[in-house]
Amino acid sequence: MSTQVLDSLSEDTVRRIAEERDEPDWLLETRLDAFDELDELDLPDVIQTPGRRWTNLEGLDFESLVDPLNQADVTERDGEDDVVVLPFTEAFAEYGDVIEANFGSVLDPQENYLTALSVALFTTGTFVYVPAGVDAEDVTIRAEMNSRSLFSQTLVVTEESSSVTILEGIESGADAAADVSPANADRYFSNLVEVAAGENSYVQYGSLQNLAEDTYTYTLKRGSTDTYATINWIEGNLGSALTRSDVETELDGDGSETQIVGAFFGHDDQHLDLNARVWHNAENTTADLVTRGVLDEEARSVYEGVQDVGRDAWNTSSYQRENTLMLSDDAEADASPKLIIHNHDTEASHSATVGQVDAEELFYMKSRSIDPETARNMLVEGFFVPVLEEIRVDEFRDDLEELVQARLE
Amino acid sequence: MSSEDLQDTDTEARFEFKKEQKSALKADKGLTEETIRLISDDKDEPEWMLERRLRALKQFQEMPMPTDWPGQPDLSEVDVDEIVPYIRPDVDVRAGVDDWTELPDDIKDTFDKLGIPEAEKNALSGVGAQYESEVVYQNMRDRWEEKGVIFCNMDEAVQEHEEIVREHFMTKCVPPSDNKFAALHGAIWSGGSFVYVPEDTTVDMPVQAYFRMNSEGMGQFEHTLIIAEENSEVHYIEGCSAPKYSAFNLHSGGVEVFVGEDAHVQYSTVQNWSKNTYNLNTKRAIVEENGRMEWISGSMGSKATMLYPSTILKGRGASDNHITIAFAGEGQDIDTGAKVYHNAPNTKSTIESKSISKDGGRTNYRGLVHIADGAEGSSTAVECDALMFDNESTSDTMPYMEINESNVDVAHEATVGKIGDEDIFYLQSRGLDDDDAKQMIVSGFIEPITEELPIEYAVELNRLVELEMEGSLG
Repeated sequence: MSTQVLDSLSEDTVRRIAEERDEPDWLLETRLDAFDELDELDLPDVIQTPGRRWTNLEGLDFESLVDPLNQADVTERDGEDDVVVLPFTEAFAEYGDVIEANFGSVLDPQENYLTALSVALFTTGTFVYVPAGVDAEDVTIRAEMNSRSLFSQTLVVTEESSSVTILEGIESGADAAADVSPANADRYFSNLVEVAAGENSYVQYGSLQNLAEDTYTYTLKRGSTDTYATINWIEGNLGSALTRSDVETELDGDGSETQIVGAFFGHDDQHLDLNARVWHNAENTTADLVTRGVLDEEARSVYEGVQDVGRDAWNTSSYQRENTLMLSDDAEADASPKLIIHNHDTEASHSATVGQVDAEELFYMKSRSIDPETARNMLVEGFFVPVLEEIRVDEFRDDLEELVQARLE
Repeated sequence: MSSEDLQDTDTEARFEFKKEQKSALKADKGLTEETIRLISDDKDEPEWMLERRLRALKQFQEMPMPTDWPGQPDLSEVDVDEIVPYIRPDVDVRAGVDDWTELPDDIKDTFDKLGIPEAEKNALSGVGAQYESEVVYQNMRDRWEEKGVIFCNMDEAVQEHEEIVREHFMTKCVPPSDNKFAALHGAIWSGGSFVYVPEDTTVDMPVQAYFRMNSEGMGQFEHTLIIAEENSEVHYIEGCSAPKYSAFNLHSGGVEVFVGEDAHVQYSTVQNWSKNTYNLNTKRAIVEENGRMEWISGSMGSKATMLYPSTILKGRGASDNHITIAFAGEGQDIDTGAKVYHNAPNTKSTIESKSISKDGGRTNYRGLVHIADGAEGSSTAVECDALMFDNESTSDTMPYMEINESNVDVAHEATVGKIGDEDIFYLQSRGLDDDDAKQMIVSGFIEPITEELPIEYAVELNRLVELEMEGSLG
């Protein structure tokens, strides 16, 4: 199906955004090209089984969600001295060439309707550049969304043998509700992230999304690895009414690696459509996908994991695990872990489970005089441990644990 | 068909021979209302069956071809207007004789070569044999008939057991609206088996039906209806084959199984269609309280297969086991799996899938497990293992899980890999050559399937696998 271009959008809108930001011509062209293609592009694929569509993106009323000229955010960016962490507008002068060379090289703006919309309209985001040999431990990007809609674009470029750890936190501003008119209307947040990891470089990109629950979130994060490079993603989703998240790595260089770690906790009637995908396009590559989530009340999770091993991906190792814990009878957990294997010199496996809090464990804790609710909460926190253990950044781990605890209370 | 006989037989020759194509009635190519009236009239069917056929035809014409399944086999060659939907073989007794010697020599010879009469003597309670569109032989041992067990061909059942067929035929289990090829099947079905097992009856030897397509460019659309009443038990085996032609053949069977309370039905298939056959089937079982359904499937043949035997666990405590093996060689796309709907509390299912792909073949496990809200205490375990031989081939795994209930136990696991070098080295150190070592490892890999089959069929399946493996190992 093809989606209609919004009546309220015009080429002028796109030009105005670009002009206000004083952008180079090539970026305006990229935006306009994406805008022109909107007519032709489809929404992202959604899993369909007989009689059921797992996520209803068509049901979103983009006409009322998208308000491109009133985007507002407060974003704090921190990094060490030898790494560049800037909004694009401040980076063009010095790093214009690097940005132009890499922008859209990993994530095609015309991938689908939502990416094209996002590239055409983005007004915030970050450019991270790590020069060769630099180790940057502690880059943080904390964004607050303060408008009806917000489109964000992030580009990470790492040069040879560098390393960087980036933490991205996304929340709704305290007074955000007041800025939405009419009051209580839904909001839309779009977040595109692309990572170009140079030879033998290491990128850890953690993203923790805890937006207000009147928000619809779309995020596509995609990285490409050069030889011996590593990209590790951590994706935490707790907020939003509906989240559609795609976290993907193209293992393009020999000997490169990726890990995609996901954690989610849905409650009320939240809908989480979470996807982790890896393409093994080169030799001796390794992937490890680990997702754990908890569903309470009427929340629903939809998970797709794809491990795609290409014809030339000799000596591949690829693993995937997904576990969902159901706290409520009204919740729903759908999962589809997929293997697409074109080379026999592969060791690949995946597993997925759905279950509830173990009755015996609960009984044991009660027998130790822990009250049932505390016992259950401890078991839920314990359920996240295998995922938390994969997170090597203390700050991110603490934040995630805090959010999980807050939700349990 | 004892195992010694099999060793002496050239398996490939047994399936590949072609008989001269002759018939008593052959419909024109293509699918029109006229064709359907011709088939129904030739079978002297009651009016309600003709009406159902015509309704199904309409549904078939309205439904689009399935093209949007992720990674699905290419069906662009399947042009139903090129298919000869109905060929009545030239035999005297319409309902199938019960003595092989009464069959025309060429047809008798066909089934002799396939080893069916021999198997009947040794291991089976009853045998049906279908040639082109009609069943030509049908027989069951007297002691089952005395107990009220019915095993007859489907066309005869429409006449002789009209009420029960009318109630169950493509109504609750596989309605024609299920998918385009179920609708096609509903319009032009012919032949197949009807099995009825009364209460408290255990048929302790399997019954078998064998389906043979001999003519080029034909379609075979047999319908199988199995009704197992309360506390009964039956094992049904189906085998299929056809010689290879340049034009495509289409097999679109329909299978409906009703498993009563505490009943147990096992449905085993060894499919060895020729590699120009499109095998697009719909198979489904409905299982009542504490009943048990087992699907055992070996898919060796066909150019493309799309087959996902489904089970609806309707009664409390009902259970389902799927064991499936797919072997795709050059030019083959075997897209198969299972579907299970847990619609009642304490229902259980297991799915075990094994696949082998080599020489550019593709296998895919495509499966769906749905646990409905309220099906508390249910559990499902899915295990898929795939073996690959080269990087021309493809091995996909696409499971879908829909879990609407919290008090459940759901597990899915899958692995893909190549034959371990260490395993081969070990066998070589014991004096086996490379080819034998690989064959032995493959036989071990599919053992969970073969051990579920009577020994004759297990040997058969192993022979087929060996045949596929021969001369192609590097």
